[in-house]
Amino acid sequence: MDSVHCTPGERAVVITRVAERHWHALEDDLVVGRGEASRRPDGRIFLSIDAWHGAVFEHLAEAMLPALPRPLYTVVDEADADLTSQWRRAGFTVRRREWEYLVPTAPRTTGLASILPPPGVTIVPLGEADDGLLRELDRVIRDEIEATVGWQEMPAEVLPRPAGVTVLDPSKYAAAVEAGHYAGYVRLAHVARLPRIGLIAVRDGARRRGIARALLAEVLGSLHHKGIARASADVNEANVGALALFDGVGARRANSNLELVVR
Amino acid sequence: MATSAGGIEVEGTVTECLRNATFRVELENGHKVLAHISGKIRKNYIKILPFDRVLVELSPYDLNRGRILFRYRT
Repeated sequence: MDSVHCTPGERAVVITRVAERHWHALEDDLVVGRGEASRRPDGRIFLSIDAWHGAVFEHLAEAMLPALPRPLYTVVDEADADLTSQWRRAGFTVRRREWEYLVPTAPRTTGLASILPPPGVTIVPLGEADDGLLRELDRVIRDEIEATVGWQEMPAEVLPRPAGVTVLDPSKYAAAVEAGHYAGYVRLAHVARLPRIGLIAVRDGARRRGIARALLAEVLGSLHHKGIARASADVNEANVGALALFDGVGARRANSNLELVVR
Repeated sequence: MATSAGGIEVEGTVTECLRNATFRVELENGHKVLAHISGKIRKNYIKILPFDRVLVELSPYDLNRGRILFRYRT
């Protein structure tokens, strides 16, 4: 167990490593800050620090950073200027920005009422996708992404999964079928009040034909039918195609998250 | 209401999303606090919305401020 004693102003704060990836900041035996490191499925280590004042944040960062293998990552809400500047002072820099979109579902707003899939393609509605075909497509798309931009460039996949399992719940997917195989899919998480479009992807060779737009029309139409007015989606700012897709259906950029890194 | 080594933890309902990544939360006793979200919630991309039931840890320095530790499923 590691401990570091420091004195911000008149307060004595003790930083203690209470577990392999957990730190506490103690002031008179009261926990006034916590730090945590966690590993995502893609192998990267993400940090979080919660502190009731800036000096505690700095001391937790000073204790945690040298104790962990680099690179280290964190996520901040760009609107949280104080927290962002604290991480910057600890040496973190911006790696990328993710826009949080609010996506309307009403066809008259999205303009998707008359959208049909391209010739030869049909859409399998949410909850009706074939498990085997879905998993086959998921493997193909994951390999394609890994061979090109890499999963690290995609909006975060943070749920822990059993090794090799990437499709946890097929009922959350709609898919596009072409010639007996799935060419694209969309995943919708049914979060209360604001469903989340977690992933939308079309395999290489089937892109630029309107399949993603047809998939979006399917899930947004389904939500509208249930009386749900909007959904959310996180999009990497560098993903020009995805930005155009969501901008094109009247989605609004409501917020942004910054992924920060220290190498 | 519960206490931990970190302070008082209270359940409440989010009433408003404010600028600067803060939320107004009405606690079970009617008291209203300004709360940030915890780093763990942020890391896991959990969205906080009005009407969400949440667990808030109150600041030991200012009982009008807190940190959202957990969002309950509704």
